[in-house]
Amino acid sequence: MNSDLTDISRRAFMERYAKAVFGVSLLPSFSGLRAAQSKAGGKAKSVIFLYMRGGISHIDTFDPKPGKPEMGGVQAIATSADGVQVSEWFPRMAKQMHHVSLLRSMTSTQGIHDRGAYLAHTSYFMTPTITHPSLGSWAVKLLGSANAVLPGNILVNGSPQHPRSGYMPTHLAPLPIVDPGAGLQNAALPPQVTESDFARRTALTQAVGARFVQQTPHRDASAYLKVQQDATSLMKSEDLKVFDISREDKKTQAAYGTHTFGKGCLLARRLVESGVRFIEVEDSHNWDTHNDQIKLMENMTPTTDQTMAALLDDLHQRGLLASTLVVMATEFGRTPQISNETAGRGHHPSAFTWWLAGGGVKGGYVHGKSDEIGEHVAEKPVTMQDCNATIAQAMGIDLKHIEHSPSGRPFTVADKGVPVAEVFA
Amino acid sequence: MTFKPSFSSLLGIGVFVLYCTAPFVTASESPLFEKDILPIFYQHCFACHSEKQAKPKGKLRLDSAEAIRGSDMMVAGKPDDSELMKRVSLPHTDEDVMPPLKGGAQPLSDKERAMLRQWIADGAKLDSWVKFDHRGAAMTAGDPSLATAEVRQLSDELQRLVDRSHASKDTKLNAPANDETFLRRVYLDVMGRIPSLEESTRFLDSKDADKRGKLISELLGSEGYVSHMFNWKADLLRVNTRGLAAGQPGKLYDDWVKDAIRSHMSYDEFVRQLITASGYLWENGAVGFYVRDLGMPLDHMSNMTRIFLGTRIECAQCHDHPLEPITQKDFYQMTAFTFGVSNLGKPGGYSPTNVKQWPELKAKLAALGNDKALFDSVSSTIAPLKRLTADTDMLLKYPETYPYDAALRGKPAEPRTLFGDEAVIKDGNRRKAFADWMTSPRNPRFAKNIANRLWKRVMGLGLIEPVDSLSALPKPEHAELLDFLTQTMIRLRFDERAFMAVLLNTRLYQSDTVRETPEPATAFALLGPQLRRLSAEQIWDSHLVMLAKDMDERKTTFRLEGVLDPQRLRKLNTMTADELIAQARIDRAEHTRKREINLLREEQQKERAAAKARGDEKEVQRLAALHAKQNKEQADSDMKAMNSEAGEEGATKETDPRWKSLPPSFIRASEMPLPLPLGHFLRQFGQSDRREIDAFSREPNTTHSLALMNGELTTRALADDSYLRRQLAASNLVGEKRTQLIYRAILVRSATAEELAELATMTQGSPTPEQDIIWALLNSPEFLFNQ
Repeated sequence: MNSDLTDISRRAFMERYAKAVFGVSLLPSFSGLRAAQSKAGGKAKSVIFLYMRGGISHIDTFDPKPGKPEMGGVQAIATSADGVQVSEWFPRMAKQMHHVSLLRSMTSTQGIHDRGAYLAHTSYFMTPTITHPSLGSWAVKLLGSANAVLPGNILVNGSPQHPRSGYMPTHLAPLPIVDPGAGLQNAALPPQVTESDFARRTALTQAVGARFVQQTPHRDASAYLKVQQDATSLMKSEDLKVFDISREDKKTQAAYGTHTFGKGCLLARRLVESGVRFIEVEDSHNWDTHNDQIKLMENMTPTTDQTMAALLDDLHQRGLLASTLVVMATEFGRTPQISNETAGRGHHPSAFTWWLAGGGVKGGYVHGKSDEIGEHVAEKPVTMQDCNATIAQAMGIDLKHIEHSPSGRPFTVADKGVPVAEVFA
Repeated sequence: MTFKPSFSSLLGIGVFVLYCTAPFVTASESPLFEKDILPIFYQHCFACHSEKQAKPKGKLRLDSAEAIRGSDMMVAGKPDDSELMKRVSLPHTDEDVMPPLKGGAQPLSDKERAMLRQWIADGAKLDSWVKFDHRGAAMTAGDPSLATAEVRQLSDELQRLVDRSHASKDTKLNAPANDETFLRRVYLDVMGRIPSLEESTRFLDSKDADKRGKLISELLGSEGYVSHMFNWKADLLRVNTRGLAAGQPGKLYDDWVKDAIRSHMSYDEFVRQLITASGYLWENGAVGFYVRDLGMPLDHMSNMTRIFLGTRIECAQCHDHPLEPITQKDFYQMTAFTFGVSNLGKPGGYSPTNVKQWPELKAKLAALGNDKALFDSVSSTIAPLKRLTADTDMLLKYPETYPYDAALRGKPAEPRTLFGDEAVIKDGNRRKAFADWMTSPRNPRFAKNIANRLWKRVMGLGLIEPVDSLSALPKPEHAELLDFLTQTMIRLRFDERAFMAVLLNTRLYQSDTVRETPEPATAFALLGPQLRRLSAEQIWDSHLVMLAKDMDERKTTFRLEGVLDPQRLRKLNTMTADELIAQARIDRAEHTRKREINLLREEQQKERAAAKARGDEKEVQRLAALHAKQNKEQADSDMKAMNSEAGEEGATKETDPRWKSLPPSFIRASEMPLPLPLGHFLRQFGQSDRREIDAFSREPNTTHSLALMNGELTTRALADDSYLRRQLAASNLVGEKRTQLIYRAILVRSATAEELAELATMTQGSPTPEQDIIWALLNSPEFLFNQ
């Protein structure tokens, strides 16, 4: 073997060696330097990540362009935050904007649903060689969760293509709640099965399963045995009732709304109260509005507006907003131009809006801006990696911390994302 | 954060040592340009430095010998003085590093860098290479004289190639799979479910030397095959039964795909019919291909290229592909073939002018005084006829902001294929020309794509992974094998069943599985099929085997009724204008009646609520009885009208004695109208919601265990009247023999002596030992894997 190391590989070698053996970095890394500039963050004990699948229009929601033909006749309205306007379709959110930091200068290069959604969730570009973990898996891996029995990472109404725990172990993958109204399904014993039947049968399964797992190194095989143990302890847990949103009073249920997203956000709030670290709720609307933009937005926005506003208000009333970061994310925005042919808007990754609220971020604040029609970023561009770095910092995750994939590749929570220091209060 | 040595960090060091052997890579012999260096250039450089760009970055091109020689990028024999070597060796944080690390671009690996260094040190020889052909050569078709009857012969040839590969690498196949393992595997792969107890016993007891080959043929001809194949194709095509488009009978697209599979339509014909589909869904279900992508003409082409050609070009919808030499112009030229279809980019996709009676209707309505209410009724009655898939003369134009060539802005894109032959348009029929090009045996990626995808379906991993990463540059691993499979697909005239039979009859398929987690980006080692979790559909369909007999034959009771009834739609299509107006009046009357019913129900509810609020329980009961009676009387006469208005499914009562104990929703996954509600077992286990291509998941989760432990399927399997329990009772076997039967029914294998002893001990004193064992096997990880 020849030891013809190039400079870079030698440097990389030393760096990795030092990191692995001493747990230190020899050289301050790029992101490390920037992160050091902003010490804020660490106040968010929980995160509620609201995901608008399909790519929600920024212009029709939180980055309106009053008076421009691109608005298609829709008006902008004033909000509870001075000088901040939102689209007329969000009258209830307008009253919550004093809690919200809008990031109106989000930008990405991924204009395809699965790739954009992947980047939004993992901070890495989709590649065929590895699946990266989502932010929730990072959070649970590095911070744990306050509740020992409930999973620390929960996904309500999630897409089947969610990257989940990626290369990290499957116990860090989010627990999916497919129907928030039904709570955690199948958590109770069927009527004819007694506790002792159940105990006997699970013991039998573990014994039979252990043999199979012994001959089967595939990670999903042992994961299924582990999953059964988790499920069993969950069934016995007092915390199980947190999944039952019907325990909330009628007024609260009505405030959130009886649609899937409403129920999901109400469940998310209950989970936050139980100390769950990271909850993602996907809106069941399809925001991929290629056709009839105005009509579709008119139909879809009222329930989304209602639920988002109810969530922020409820968290605030209960004194949870200071320690809970709520994020609205989506894979991209939509074109400023409404198509003459389809009356819809196309995919538009070059400028769009995400927002943050609570968890130690400023309220009534707007970071960055798009140009006068929302086509490009005009000031202070923020990438998805940057925003995820901000969320991670709000949670108190060390942005420089390196995790290795099973094949030894090093990764950080938000890749090279630089947190947006200005949003921290 | 303080450093705490933990198990994971120790593990990290272990892994790290392995990892760090990577930089010590050396090129063992002199790299050859075409074999070793060209792929590096293609993957890392061509996206910016090739003739594909109108203006290559830095005016540098690396795709022709002339251009490379004319550049000052390399100093032959002196890698350290070569600009190219310097730039690819810069640290990742350096802005000048090549390739620029944005948009997901990857730096050169240490191995690639070492190879490049060695090649330059050896003199940067280009040998006889002249230039890279971005279009690639067309395929040369195989020998058409071989027909499906030669399946076994092709299978043997394939096995010889596999054996040769092992011989060259000094590896060997895994041990042959025993009959039980083979049996369960082939049922899962072909039928999408485990075999029933009778099916297992019949096969395992057979002494026929060729029983495996015969079983393969039998299963490929079964209805179970159609069901399982449909799931696979529907995930690729994103078939959605409901909500294909507002007011459209989406199920007819489902039905068309199923019929195509059932009738042995060859794959090339299947694709041709989809691409050239015209008309209404009830005339030709294949138009669902276009209706599905309503308003998304660009995405439609991206999706089609991905699933039929194994090539992802969607990045180029908006800009030149950042990582591959595919330009936005390429994308527009391809899309120009299908853009004019009325249901993709409107206008014309949904319009009264598509209704042939419209001119006459309009005149008659005017003669009737343009009554607004009547006009609206007619408009709603003919609504389904307005959505027509047809060619229009609409042209795809380059965006006004097209950045690469100002002269093209706003100009129509000329149709041109991405690779291989050019498509010649005759009589202005763009789609036919495109379909001919797409499905031609000469298309370099069409046969290869389906061959690789079907290989993956059976073996668990593609020869090329991801399956949609075919490119102009052939991938080196298993190239010979893939060429053979591609030629086989062509020789078999795109008969997917015959192709599957070729694969299933090999010793490779019939070897023990690879039981490790596959490493991404590692070539399939040809040792045996890859062990994998069953799909959501396979788990569901396998459970059904234990609940009732012949479940492959049980069909959905979901019918298109009312306004979406295909018969009604066909009739509407042939009605005269007068008849349509009469029909509209009937429809309106039904609509009005439905509203009245709803209003009445609301009134009744209010009355009951008021009584309840007063605390008058007696009155509540009286009203409840009265309303129930009123509603029943009315339902008898009006239910049909209500269904008709809703255009939803109607359910017919089960009359077949085999399935009477099961609700209508217990049918094979392929029979269910999608999308299913969120909480459904299939959705929990990761069934695709068909919003994106192959949007399924097979990752383990706690909710899976909850569903299997406490859910309805297991409860039904344990019930005394389940098919399995009845079979066990009828067997009259007791003790270990009975346990063996349970093992055969669920895991399709015998229990070991050790297992038998353990089961006996653990179920001692149990009131329900048989249910205990069934429960444990249904919940064991083994049940969930195809091995």
